[in-house]
Amino acid sequence: MAFLLPRTTALPSLPLKARLTPLAFQLQTRTRNANSNAHRTLISSAASPATEPEPESLHTPQPTRRQPLSAAQKLYLDKALRVNQAGELAATLIYTAQTPPLTKAHPHLRPLMQHMYDQEAGHFKTFNALLAKHRIRPTAMYPLWQAAATVLGWTTGAMGREAAMACTEAVETEIGEHYNGQVRELLAWMADMERKGEEVGEELRLLVGEMRRIRDEELEHLDHAVQNDAKAANPYELLTGVIRTGCRGAIWVSEKV
Amino acid sequence: MSLTPMALRSVLRTPTGLRPLLLQAPRALYHSYEHAQPPPYREAESAILSSAFTYVPTHGFTQEALTLGAKDAGYLDISTNLFPKGAFELVKYHLTTQRLGLKDRIQFPDGQMGVGRKVRSLVLERLRANADTGVINRWQEALALMSLAENIPASLRELSALSDEIWFLSGDISVDTSWYTKRASLSAIYAATEVYQTTDKSTDFKDTEQFLDRRLEELRVMGGAVGNTLEWVGFQGGALVNLLRSKGVRI
Repeated sequence: MAFLLPRTTALPSLPLKARLTPLAFQLQTRTRNANSNAHRTLISSAASPATEPEPESLHTPQPTRRQPLSAAQKLYLDKALRVNQAGELAATLIYTAQTPPLTKAHPHLRPLMQHMYDQEAGHFKTFNALLAKHRIRPTAMYPLWQAAATVLGWTTGAMGREAAMACTEAVETEIGEHYNGQVRELLAWMADMERKGEEVGEELRLLVGEMRRIRDEELEHLDHAVQNDAKAANPYELLTGVIRTGCRGAIWVSEKV
Repeated sequence: MSLTPMALRSVLRTPTGLRPLLLQAPRALYHSYEHAQPPPYREAESAILSSAFTYVPTHGFTQEALTLGAKDAGYLDISTNLFPKGAFELVKYHLTTQRLGLKDRIQFPDGQMGVGRKVRSLVLERLRANADTGVINRWQEALALMSLAENIPASLRELSALSDEIWFLSGDISVDTSWYTKRASLSAIYAATEVYQTTDKSTDFKDTEQFLDRRLEELRVMGGAVGNTLEWVGFQGGALVNLLRSKGVRI
């Protein structure tokens, strides 16, 4: 029976009221191993990009694929691209809203913010084009994400440099792991196709290449955020915890509607 | 469609009548340019439905037309059991084949027309298909069948697929909230125009064309008004924020 109750026995002696405080949340987040990804369609991965498989077909132009992708694969791409577009929409708006209060207080951050915004705007354009090309429905929550991202960006920007960078760190961690998981999934398809002797097709090859590039740029933003004292934000765990949970929730919703 | 054991179990646990809901292939999937989309009907279904369709002008959208079509295609009468929805399958066959055939019926010269004019000619082309296949005199029966409660979901799905197809073929690339409003408004306009077409007695459907133009003009005016209002609100909001910032408020 003991193995069935690890969660309830984790904090046995604390009353419910104490367990719901921000401090308890911070402590729990610090110790928890966030590995409960099994129920999600779009699985994210924190593994290093260096350990990715490198199918041969990734670096050479491919002949046209004749075999249709399976229904499950199409559904996966449908969900993944929709989520990615919503994510980039939110990212551009977060940076747009963060920049004025942040650069007013810290003018030296202006080139960095501009650089990160420009890259996000480029990603957003890429995914807009991909959605239109592949006839994928954008998320129905579009206006809601617009509002939420603007509020989040403005709030953290007004809270100061550390909070803004902690927000960037939280968002980019979540997004980076998310792209990482997608890239791994697509690379696994490519390896599988190669093994079966099917053509991979230029569409899929270019898509993986794009996603890898975007993933690397997102992780670069993460490094910038950490260099700019994201970890010094107060309360760091609460802030990043709330933002990361929000990101995961938004990803889950955008997959579906 | 292959199912995982878990999915299969949940399918088997649902009451028989509701299972098709779970087995429905999800719509709006990733569209690829490298390989052809699978055809909407299997060979036997397609053979029966297409020969049954030639009986529609004389026998209407009825089970009888379906039976005659099955006989013509060399199948037994009983093979109409392939189509549990009976006459509605004939309606759906027309809707599906005409929607998919739209891209071959009309070609646009590059860079000559705007999206709005392309949408107009695509709608007209699709309506012309009702007349060309000779079912226009029977189309009120089809509309009646489509409006039966059990057929409404399938009809609406077909309508939204058509409007998606028209926006796609017209080269519209917006992927924000307007994706939804565009499809909804075009669906409404198309449905209204099609109802009008069934009562149109003018030569070459001139009246239908004018009806469609009036609806599109209304949409343009209304869409413009909404767009302008939103733009004005956004501009005022931005100006207010900038004004406060210039006064030293920390926002």
